[in-house]
Amino acid sequence: MVGRFLPVCPANGIVTAQLNRLRFRGGLRLLLLIALITLLQPDPLLIVPGPPQTVQTSHPIVGVHTRLTDEVEEWKIQRSLEMVRQMGSPWIVELFPWAYYHAADGGIAWDHPDMVINHAHAQGLKVIARIGLTPGWARPPDTPLNYLDATAYDDFAEFAARFAARYQGKLAAIIVGNEPNLSYEWGYREGTAVDYTNLLKTVYPAIKAANPDVLVLGGALAPTLEPAGSPWGLNDLEYLDQMYAAGAADYFDGLAVHSYGLTFPALADPGPEILNFRRVELVREVMLRHGDANTQIYITEFGWNDHPRWTMAVRPGQRIQNTLDALTYAEANWPYVAMIAIWAFRFPAPTKSYMDNFTLVTPEFVTKPIYTELQRFTGND
Amino acid sequence: MIKFPGNRPVGAGQAGNHPGRDKPPCLPPVSPACYGVGRDGAEARPSGWPRSWPRRPAPTQFWIGFRSFGGYAKNSLWFIAIFGMMLWQIGCSAADDSWERVQTAGVLRVGLDPTYPPFEVDDGSGVYGLDVDLAKAIADDLGLEVQFVYFGYDGLYDALATEQVDVLISALVIIPERTRDFSYSEPYFNAGEILIVPADNETITSMADLGGRTVAVELGSLGHVEATEWAKRVADLEILTFATAVEAMTAVQQGKAHAALTDAISGRLFLRDHDGLNRLPQSVTVEPFALVVRSEDRQLLTMLNQSLATLQQSGQLDQIEAEWLGP
Repeated sequence: MVGRFLPVCPANGIVTAQLNRLRFRGGLRLLLLIALITLLQPDPLLIVPGPPQTVQTSHPIVGVHTRLTDEVEEWKIQRSLEMVRQMGSPWIVELFPWAYYHAADGGIAWDHPDMVINHAHAQGLKVIARIGLTPGWARPPDTPLNYLDATAYDDFAEFAARFAARYQGKLAAIIVGNEPNLSYEWGYREGTAVDYTNLLKTVYPAIKAANPDVLVLGGALAPTLEPAGSPWGLNDLEYLDQMYAAGAADYFDGLAVHSYGLTFPALADPGPEILNFRRVELVREVMLRHGDANTQIYITEFGWNDHPRWTMAVRPGQRIQNTLDALTYAEANWPYVAMIAIWAFRFPAPTKSYMDNFTLVTPEFVTKPIYTELQRFTGND
Repeated sequence: MIKFPGNRPVGAGQAGNHPGRDKPPCLPPVSPACYGVGRDGAEARPSGWPRSWPRRPAPTQFWIGFRSFGGYAKNSLWFIAIFGMMLWQIGCSAADDSWERVQTAGVLRVGLDPTYPPFEVDDGSGVYGLDVDLAKAIADDLGLEVQFVYFGYDGLYDALATEQVDVLISALVIIPERTRDFSYSEPYFNAGEILIVPADNETITSMADLGGRTVAVELGSLGHVEATEWAKRVADLEILTFATAVEAMTAVQQGKAHAALTDAISGRLFLRDHDGLNRLPQSVTVEPFALVVRSEDRQLLTMLNQSLATLQQSGQLDQIEAEWLGP
């Protein structure tokens, strides 16, 4: 065997033969070492959803917006959802980016959404899936991820339908897009309530055909006072009015809205020129004006911030009190609100900005006092 | 993601982009892969060496190349190329460093968010605070005028990146994740959590001594989180929560708690105006405030660090701190 490696040049043949023998033995040893290390390696961590759990809560309105999209490790996904259940929140809202999963050839990478949905289901959580972000193949070149125009509505509908069909029995609702009344969420194209209504008209029947049990939520309207003609967006109340005028009412089962308290206490009176928690009541008025009293509202983002430097933040204690006051008030006074999701449960990594002060749990799974208070509120202390 | 009025969503090309820059990019003339020495080394290899012999480390190959005139000429070219690139790098560094421009203009542009007393605040009568005095002292030391430029807290780093200011002095905590684009000076203040104890305290020297005792905290604050973590490893540590840090420290003053855990700013402001309490010298957590410059402004950073050291040695930094936060 070694002879096959003998050199052609006889002058230094002996030296080379010795070198080759050494190399051969060295290579053999290396192979043995690799085999040994491979055998000694522990088995990969096996994460299984575990036995089905049930959420114990005295306040079924409580929900959280998780942020598991960028969470890679399965145990962290499981731990997050376990902590959501232990806090007494039966609902989660989670973003499922179309752009991340759907390839141009029609293939869909289901691994990550499967992981999230299956673990949520095992924890007994009701999942509201927010679907958005457009794949590169479904939008013009050099447009941002949020860009979605009418040419891709059918593609979006196809993905939403396949998503709904796949998670039959594990999915409570799908939100179509996010904050459509902001131009940022349309990829800075000039989007209107009519555009969004057309999107609903395309997506709603597709989802219903695939899974009649899943609710389709329209909107997820952003609270904003932007006037008509603003390049940034449009006042949410006006936008909703225009949605109804465009015939949207038959194309959503529930209306998703966002409601932040900013520096106002939870019970501060609403007003058309004020952005606060009870702005939801003004949204409800628009719905009533359009004869849509039976449609429920889902508050899919809500909360206060306690960053010491952000001008729209409050003290940590106020944040806790406002949150509990708001949940109590909504349960007592808003029978038309199905759930309220606190933004945000936990981020996979710190953002190092005021956004970190919206969360209930740190990236290292350290619970903040607001988590403990919510746990007590739901009867899980 | 959420957007609020006055907090416009940042569009593509805004965050992390540098539209204000007009200098050419400082790139090496060739790709680093082009000046690998593997091929030269192979040619200079003694004839008896097997073809499959592992290539020698680059420096060895370089010197082997001097054995022949051809190799010498070739490697001289490499030497010139590498030396040229070093000069290029030095040239780029000098061109990118703001220090020269600051010196020429005679003005240090300082970015801050003037809504954070007692570090920087503008109540209509002008800007004042610890950071303002610090910036003036540094500028004085460097023989410069100082110009304050206001930004919202979340816009400070973008303002620096787009060269609207030379330095940020705005009670900013060192964030390791930002050091790719920005450099921090030596810290000038630790805003971490501190323990406030009665003035006659002789037994509590750290959090570990709070077993069987009560600690007062502001509900939901970082001090509350930290105390909760300590309660897991210190036996019988009782946590009393209050609506504000002031109430927590008042509880210690009134003998309702053995100690209060609070951020250094709230703690020192309270001690400045109230008797009967002390702070322990060792902080429980570290939250260092530092000056921030663009990462390429190395010369400017050196000058700022030198100035901070001078202020530290002369006692001026302590004076400024004491003036705003008490002794």
